[in-house]
Amino acid sequence: MQGAPPKAAPPPARETRGAAHGSAGTGHAPIARGQLARRGSIRRAAGLVPFLSYLAVFLLVPSISVVSSAFETVGGGFTWSNISAALEGAYLVSFEKSLELSAISAGVSAVLGTVVAVALASTTNATVRRMVTSASAVFANTGGLPLAFAFIASLGNFGIVTKLLAAMGWSPYDHGFSIYTLTGLVVVYCYFLVPLMVLVMLPAVEGLRQEWFEVASLLGARRRDVWRHVGVPVLSPAFLAALMVLFADAFAAYATAEALTNGAIPLVPIQIGTLIQGNVLAGQQNVGDALGLGMIVVVAVAALLYARLQRKVARWQR
Amino acid sequence: MTVALRVQQRGKRARRGFHLGRAARTSILALAGAYFLVPLLASARYALEGPHGSYTLAAVTALLHDSVLLQSLVTSLEIALGAAAITLALLTPTSVWVNLRVPGLRRSMEGLTLVPLVVPVVVVVLGIYGAFPSELVASPVLLAFEYVVLAMPYSYRAIDGGVQSLDLHTLVDAGRSLGGSWAQVFCRVLVPNLRSSLLGAAFITVAYSLGEFAMANLLSFTTFPTELYQIGTEQVSEATAVSVFALLLTFGVLLALSVLGKRSRRTSGVAGRPVEDPLAGVAADLAAEVEAVLGRADPGRPGIVHDGRSVP
Repeated sequence: MQGAPPKAAPPPARETRGAAHGSAGTGHAPIARGQLARRGSIRRAAGLVPFLSYLAVFLLVPSISVVSSAFETVGGGFTWSNISAALEGAYLVSFEKSLELSAISAGVSAVLGTVVAVALASTTNATVRRMVTSASAVFANTGGLPLAFAFIASLGNFGIVTKLLAAMGWSPYDHGFSIYTLTGLVVVYCYFLVPLMVLVMLPAVEGLRQEWFEVASLLGARRRDVWRHVGVPVLSPAFLAALMVLFADAFAAYATAEALTNGAIPLVPIQIGTLIQGNVLAGQQNVGDALGLGMIVVVAVAALLYARLQRKVARWQR
Repeated sequence: MTVALRVQQRGKRARRGFHLGRAARTSILALAGAYFLVPLLASARYALEGPHGSYTLAAVTALLHDSVLLQSLVTSLEIALGAAAITLALLTPTSVWVNLRVPGLRRSMEGLTLVPLVVPVVVVVLGIYGAFPSELVASPVLLAFEYVVLAMPYSYRAIDGGVQSLDLHTLVDAGRSLGGSWAQVFCRVLVPNLRSSLLGAAFITVAYSLGEFAMANLLSFTTFPTELYQIGTEQVSEATAVSVFALLLTFGVLLALSVLGKRSRRTSGVAGRPVEDPLAGVAADLAAEVEAVLGRADPGRPGIVHDGRSVP
């Protein structure tokens, strides 16, 4: 109510005037005001209708369609067969690969990102801090094609870093490394996950109070002990919450993996892409939707865990 | 003297706390910097690579004569501008409305605009095939509509940050009491005051749309990124050339935008800015006056004179 002063809302104001004319006495005023408040709340919600309907049409309807087709036969009847097909054979492998890739790259990036965030929080030079934060915001949103090309150019078969390392006597491709494998993808994914981690973790790291370290050291604790008993427990909810964000981001990524490996690594998004582009077995038209439902479930679990952990994070950031 | 002493104390305290030593933090940041710069430099070198280690612009010039690529760039630009226009038309009134009428929903709105980050693009494409009429699925217009949703987590934040930094009630009351209609107040008072955040939101949407590959590829549209991908399967150095160029351009503009945004917020509030629109000027003056009379010098809710300074 405090958000809507009568002056800023002409139609209710007019009604107030009308009500005042209609009832000369004061007895009806509370009723009229109650009605007004109710009408006002409907009217206030009305301003959100364009936005909500846009989101419903272009995001909610497609998502619901995926969930419902996952349980439908081609004819439209109910079936579990899509789900069971999505959970066996090559599709099951793709879930394992996807989970493996996102878990490893999120874990590696989370650790590296936290280290960078701590280094950044220790920096007293304001210019360096601003530059690194701005750069993180930019790099966190890199992905897809340019990223794939950049890594092919540097760490691909004939990449510049590859050649440089070979010239120095250690060729990565002779030692089992390849940018076109799962390990390679982890290296590439770190490029946008580490900056994301820096952005997410920086507030938490800056929330570590100097005083805690001072008090602990006055009481005779070593730095290592303070980290173990204060720093890590305080940071860990934020760390885990951020880990969920990175995991979901890595799990949903399609463009980078597709552009880098041309679909050679069977991740879930890539499998769905192959199905969409028409390589469908007879009777399995809706298996793609079942895979999509699987992705929604995985990402939703990560989002729920994130929301849980975020509540714990809020406790320390006051 | 006291200041110098305090600074010194703070410096000492900093070293005793969780802060890393100079050597450690410098080497960490340098290593991270190398990891992020090397692929960029490598692709620039790759793009300019001529025979026997020489440098050449051949890859770049070859692409400038590729009419399919240029056509796809035009398509992508059209989609991007369309998405930016829809974003501004849809999200600006929504954010103003939420902040003015239902501020209790501010946080829920922020959460809601983050939902597109959670739904994988691949899943949205699946749903588009399942739910939308085939004429719509065949038209690139669909991409413009969908990019509005996909870029929303970023664009809504840009707009909402600007709206929250305005003293919305005072501005609207002033404009309304001077006899402006709602549309006039919105277009001639609020929009000019929001110019930099609207520009930011539009740019983020354009940048997102120009770089988006997954949805365009899965829906079989020929946009700039999908065409680059096609070229990349045969002529890697050509494709790398263009993608490096596009990447540097995006980086440059994003960085310029964040630097400019900070500078303009620091120096020019509404009162300090030359005002083209008389109604906006009057409203701003009036707002300042009303504020002075009411004495609402609440630092948590900065007034119009110093509006942008405390943008989160």
